Amino acid sequence: MLQFKLVLLGDSSVGKSSIVHRFVKDSFDEFRESTIGAAFLSQTIKLEKQDDVTIKFEIWDTAGQERYKSLAPMYYRNANAALIVYDITQPDSLAKAQSWVDELKNKVGDQDLVICLVGNKLDLCEEDPQKRVVDTEDAQRYASEQGLLFQEVSAKTGAGVTDIFQTIGEKLYVQKKNSQQAASQTRNTVNVELQRPSTNDSTSCCS
Amino acid sequence: MSRSASLLNSYGMHVRPMHSGHGVSLPKKSPSVPDLNRTYLGENKSNVSMMSEPKPPNSKPSLVESNSVEDATDLSFIELYEEAEEDENGSGSTTPMTDPIPAAVSYSSELEQTTNSILKDLSHFDRYGFKKQSTYITENEYNSWWSEYSQYCIRRKRKWQDLLEKSGLSTNNDSPDRFPPKSEKLKRYVRKGIPAEWRGNAWWYFARGQEKLNKNKGLYDKILNNLNSSQNGQLRDSDVIERDLNRTFPDNIHFQRKSDDTEEPLMIQSLRRVLIAFSIYNPKIGYCQSMNFLVGLLLLFLDEEKAFWMLVIITSRYLPGVHNVNLEGVNIDQGVLMLCIKEYLPEFWHRIMPKQQARNNEFLYKLPPLTLCTASWFMSCFVGVVPIETTLRIWDCLFYEESHVLFKISLSIIKLSEQELSRHNHHNTRSRPPNKDDDDIEIFQIIQTFPKKLLNPNDIFDRVIFKRRISFNNLNQEEIDRCRKYVTSQRLKHKNYTELVGDKAASSSNRDSKMASDLINDALSSEVYGFKKSLTGVHWNNSIKEKVRQIRRR
Repeated sequence: MLQFKLVLLGDSSVGKSSIVHRFVKDSFDEFRESTIGAAFLSQTIKLEKQDDVTIKFEIWDTAGQERYKSLAPMYYRNANAALIVYDITQPDSLAKAQSWVDELKNKVGDQDLVICLVGNKLDLCEEDPQKRVVDTEDAQRYASEQGLLFQEVSAKTGAGVTDIFQTIGEKLYVQKKNSQQAASQTRNTVNVELQRPSTNDSTSCCS
Repeated sequence: MSRSASLLNSYGMHVRPMHSGHGVSLPKKSPSVPDLNRTYLGENKSNVSMMSEPKPPNSKPSLVESNSVEDATDLSFIELYEEAEEDENGSGSTTPMTDPIPAAVSYSSELEQTTNSILKDLSHFDRYGFKKQSTYITENEYNSWWSEYSQYCIRRKRKWQDLLEKSGLSTNNDSPDRFPPKSEKLKRYVRKGIPAEWRGNAWWYFARGQEKLNKNKGLYDKILNNLNSSQNGQLRDSDVIERDLNRTFPDNIHFQRKSDDTEEPLMIQSLRRVLIAFSIYNPKIGYCQSMNFLVGLLLLFLDEEKAFWMLVIITSRYLPGVHNVNLEGVNIDQGVLMLCIKEYLPEFWHRIMPKQQARNNEFLYKLPPLTLCTASWFMSCFVGVVPIETTLRIWDCLFYEESHVLFKISLSIIKLSEQELSRHNHHNTRSRPPNKDDDDIEIFQIIQTFPKKLLNPNDIFDRVIFKRRISFNNLNQEEIDRCRKYVTSQRLKHKNYTELVGDKAASSSNRDSKMASDLINDALSSEVYGFKKSLTGVHWNNSIKEKVRQIRRR
């Protein structure tokens, strides 16, 4: 089974832990204790778009307050994916999310790191559209400029939550498969060259 | 509770007006201590009976406010509690709590109904108002443990009563405010648990809270009143505090709002004031997530002003720097914990530490991932890490013995969870070869969940803390203070080195930066920390001793 490390980052009380709990336990609490330091959870899913592929997420849920940022490198060391969460009813939280995107891009050299921007608390805006302060289009535009996945969700109703993990899982799986194929191709090429003299190479053929 | 005595300031906070002495208009000052005798009665009417004057159970609780703190009774709360439980289990008897609830709400039959349903539900909560059941502990497990442990509490309380009597101290209507001088005997008593009803006073006494308060008389009130007058100054931390208020003990009845339209629980109001006042009092720390839990727990045992000063004492004396803006104090303590693990739990150490890192001191400034989990143990002093009764026993020792207790408890938890770890390990090696990543995940998972199952405090205290042959029990405050100094200086040196060398190295090739970091590690690793091997008969290395002396001199 493939395993991927995923970290959650974002301002305090945007709903990081609630998203994880919806995903892992399919439950929701209106008031969830603030996360101190980090919490670790894992969840296995079956990829919908692939036949018979299951992957396991190791999820590191983190404290959101600014000062915990100094501990962050420990979380995202060797991460394969990051969920950067903001609250669509809190304008500051998108700015915080953007600074997380910058930090990850600067500090994690890995080109394959999958980053997903997640706007949470969709349910609040469905009750009262006035509550929305971050437009879907704006966030979407920012995400595509930065090459991020993007999804609005509600940890409360569950809307969109499994989708994020499906999309991320899919992307990670395809990446992994491609890189494995690439690796085995180089290996094969090398072998081929070693085994056979170049005259037998199809490109230099004597047709 | 009348709110007329309070003012609404610019933060929507109810602030007490300046006030001298006692009286009815001091609703916010002292009454946050839930009367343990009434935990099961006081929940209705949003803390009213909790806050009200202590009364014999038969009298009609009035709504007159008072700032009295503790009820003066014997251990009846435990017996009441157990009877209540039998009742819940269908013994058929009427409630043993002799009807104070219907009396309190007799003005409304509708309320009476609500109250009855609350009464029924109360059996789901412990004597502090916390939900008995958690993800890791069922209510049945809780109840069967409590039926034994409550007897233990009764026995211990009798011992305490004797001790006070022999020392010529009064139990002061079950609320003693003076305790015997420190001694081995008293330490043992504290380690076996301070009676719950005396806890607030005992913590306050052992932490020398009154000394602090006397030096700063009236300051707490002054901070809150200034806040009231400086209308427009938006506080740096008020947003973050606000977001955490309802995320502090949401499972505790004293912190719960009944419904959206009822008034905010008094406990939440007190919590807000203490946290805001602290962020003004100590801007270097401000508000740090985890302080909400510290204050939350303090407020269950002490009045607001005392809780405030206890927070001041915890963040300066017991956990210096831990909550600072850069969290350096917590990193230092994690470094100290790693040193302790290396010294006292070598097997576990080898599991968490790759060999090349274990040789030098790199782990002190590049902390291993395990510390992501253990950091919270220190920041919240185990609140939320272990079940509540175990937390309280740890706090008893913390205020009596100071912070080295937190390290001992951490080592104990790791030691106890090692059994579980090795069980998993055996299971794993059979199915596939061990893989460092998988192992890390497993360790993290067990270290995270194991403490949450430590329902019985004596599992730690009797099995580990009281065992002399367990080597880390030699740890004392002096040792931890020396460790802290050592780790602080190592981390600082590393920071200075990397600032000097690191910038250059970063701009050149990877190989250079690798060399630079090796150089730094070598330079710093020449100073090794040596634990004091008292009583164990191990040869005490003189050169290390000398080095430690040097460090201490610096």
